Amino acid sequence: MADVAAMPARRRGRGNTAALPGWVGKAARLIVSIAVTLFGLMALTFFIGRMLPLDPVAAILGDNATQEAYEAMQRQLGLDQPLYIQFAHYVYDIARLDFGTALTTGKPVLDDIGRVFPATIELATVGILIGTGLGIPLGVLAAAYRDTAIDYFVRVFGLLGYSTPNFWLGLMGLVLFYATLGWVEGPGRIDTAYQWDIEPVTDLLLLDTAMAGQWDIFRNAFGHIILPASILGFGAMAYISRMTRSFMLEQLAQEYVIAARVKGLSWGRTVWVHAFRNVAVQVVTVVALAYAFLLEGAVLTETVFAWPGFGRYLTNALLGGDMNAVVGCTLVVGIIFVGLNLLSDLLYRVFDPRTR
Amino acid sequence: MTDRCDRRWRLTLTLLAGAALAGPAQAATPRNALVMAWNIDAISTFDPAQIGEVVTSELIQNTCDALASFDPKDEARVVPALAERWEVAEDGRQITFHLRDKLVFPSGNPGTAQDLAWSMQRVVKLGFGNAATLTEYGFSKANVEQMISAPDERTLVMKLDKPYPTNLILQAIAANRVATMQDRKTLMANEVNGDLGNKYLATHTACVGPYRLRQWNSGESVVLEANENHWAGAPKLRRVIIRHVAEAGTQRLLLEKGDVDVARDLTPEDMQAIEKMPGITLARTLKPQLVYWGFNNAHPAFAQEKVRLAMRYLIDYEALGKTVMAYNGVPRASFVQLGAFGALDAKEGQPFSLDLARARQLLSEAGYPDGFEAGMIFSTLPYAAPIAQHIQANAAKVGVRLKLEQMANAQLFARHRGREFETVIAAWQTSIPDAQGNASRLIANPDNRAEAKLTQFPSWRHSFQSESANRIAAEALLERDEEKRAALYHQLQRDMMQSGPTAIMFQTVHLAGVRTSLKNWTWHGFGSYYDMAYKE
Repeated sequence: MADVAAMPARRRGRGNTAALPGWVGKAARLIVSIAVTLFGLMALTFFIGRMLPLDPVAAILGDNATQEAYEAMQRQLGLDQPLYIQFAHYVYDIARLDFGTALTTGKPVLDDIGRVFPATIELATVGILIGTGLGIPLGVLAAAYRDTAIDYFVRVFGLLGYSTPNFWLGLMGLVLFYATLGWVEGPGRIDTAYQWDIEPVTDLLLLDTAMAGQWDIFRNAFGHIILPASILGFGAMAYISRMTRSFMLEQLAQEYVIAARVKGLSWGRTVWVHAFRNVAVQVVTVVALAYAFLLEGAVLTETVFAWPGFGRYLTNALLGGDMNAVVGCTLVVGIIFVGLNLLSDLLYRVFDPRTR
Repeated sequence: MTDRCDRRWRLTLTLLAGAALAGPAQAATPRNALVMAWNIDAISTFDPAQIGEVVTSELIQNTCDALASFDPKDEARVVPALAERWEVAEDGRQITFHLRDKLVFPSGNPGTAQDLAWSMQRVVKLGFGNAATLTEYGFSKANVEQMISAPDERTLVMKLDKPYPTNLILQAIAANRVATMQDRKTLMANEVNGDLGNKYLATHTACVGPYRLRQWNSGESVVLEANENHWAGAPKLRRVIIRHVAEAGTQRLLLEKGDVDVARDLTPEDMQAIEKMPGITLARTLKPQLVYWGFNNAHPAFAQEKVRLAMRYLIDYEALGKTVMAYNGVPRASFVQLGAFGALDAKEGQPFSLDLARARQLLSEAGYPDGFEAGMIFSTLPYAAPIAQHIQANAAKVGVRLKLEQMANAQLFARHRGREFETVIAAWQTSIPDAQGNASRLIANPDNRAEAKLTQFPSWRHSFQSESANRIAAEALLERDEEKRAALYHQLQRDMMQSGPTAIMFQTVHLAGVRTSLKNWTWHGFGSYYDMAYKE
């Protein structure tokens, strides 16, 4: 306190008024921007949902329902109210974290999302690990050995990852690795025999079984996840490797690279330590974006592999006209993107001192 | 630092070992379980008052016994279930059911006739689509407590407003799950806002049946567990595990590998391949579902009988039956499904063939020598688009320009119910093996006014009303002489093939690939009997 009092008044004042408003302002801007994004997303999805010629009441009541029953259900769901009142109710409920009941499952939307999301997180995480683990080295190698056989290989391999439909790749993978070679387990997250032996903690099967020391089940779950995750990872790898290559080519053309070589640094050290460090920030953004896309749920991969994930849930909700679930899922996707953008911003600060 | 490195290496090695040790897939299902691959996306509730789609109907059939049920070997025959016998009053206006002893709910509560009466009243009071099964026979919210009563714990009395054929009533309660015995105490203990336990039954079952619902993970699996205390004895297979597999190709792989015993959604191509495989058989049974091309009679062209008849000659039943519907269905032009009481036989029930000259002549006679324009909506069902394109191509040859519009099922459903279409390719499934089932919905229309909004009647959706058809259907319903009743339905079918509101095209078929290790897979159009299956 004495030290503070000893400070010159001008400096003290500047310190108090400059530091506090700086943080508060940034935080406030951030919160407002997130709130506006999510509100916009919610409004857009809600109104699009109400404009679609889908009939949630008929979906609940079935083919044989009388008009009287139909109108009663319409009232019960609040669908007889003007649109702005429906929206006001909806916003009020969401503010209380009540996303409503999913018409297609009869369960609260949040419970449903809590159930399907871990399956997608697990798949997307293993997928992005594979995609990043392969994509970054391949991208760097392709740039470092530009216009050589390595570069051509990486580019063609990446092109395949971009252009091969996951649906087809999934089925072919199942035919080869599951049905023919028997190297991996079949569709689903785990064998039926193990279904009742897991104590769910996080609902991430690999994590839960590893923590419980159930290594037989861990192996089984790993055998189930490795193929769909590899297929998703292949797509992510294609994106990450092409972007990494592009960033690295730009860096390798810089004068500091020539200077480093002239000073006698090895090619490997120049590429990995000096050039790659400078593209790390951009690569982080690319990886975050690829991860966000995987977390959105890969509908076709989840369908082929009977993976009870987020993408399939959202698609079923859309096809069933279940707008409560659709809006809930859309908000979750919005939160994922906002969250990963924030994370990417934070990592920028870690990797790039100029942004601190 | 060294410890951290070691940990990292250990983790990496564990993951790699996991990959290496993930051996070949387990190629056999448990011996005491029936494992099925099925697209079970449609499940949204287990409330018998509300269910309407195929998957849940089948699950409820295996978890909730009804008063009476269909003979597993003969769908047209009704046999005792919860009721061990029944008597019909001489005037045909009352049926007295006598229940079995020792009916016990999974909760341990005893099952009584009072529970059953309450369960049936509940169906009417809730007013979901299934209520129509009872309201069609004179039950209403106002009278159901008087009309369905339980004078004692073992007796249930059902009074009828008219002397309907007894078999028809029994079929209706056997098929529609409206006469299941729900655990009243459990449901009322879980009642929310006067919903009579509807919300609770969205995720539970609370009834007496050979199995009980142990677990349902939406979009993942359903697990049923055998009821050891079932009145008919415990099922041989202790568990039924239904794995949600939406993709037909994946189902086929699982079946080939032996990871499932039954695959329910195979494509015709899969069926063709599976037929020749050792260890797998193809199970096939007719469904009480008809695929039809429906005409909105409010359209000036389709208001004319001759135009509607002309449209029937644009369908190449034989060619479609051998290609698009090779495994999915059999050609059928009559509105009564094969196997039902009162149905015309296969030959007489499908007299049409592709005949463009005849279609052109009928159009000319109707005043449309140059054809006309109309829309055709159809769903995403696999057979819908090829059939629509086939019809469009033939129609173009006689000047009828059809504009095709494909849409999601929910959207099609809304358009169809709202009469917002000119023609539609749709399907309708009746719930009873009796001509009355379809006569009362596809043909009869009590009130064709728009404001009547009888959306549950496809005949109303098609803006079709025929006084003579209404009269014949009503007469047949109350005819107690079976021969005369059948003759009336025969006449109605012949009439409607010439002038009806829809060109019925196919009766669909239930298909499944079944491993030969699973014995006695028993099913027909109105149910699948898991409790009869076993493994050696």
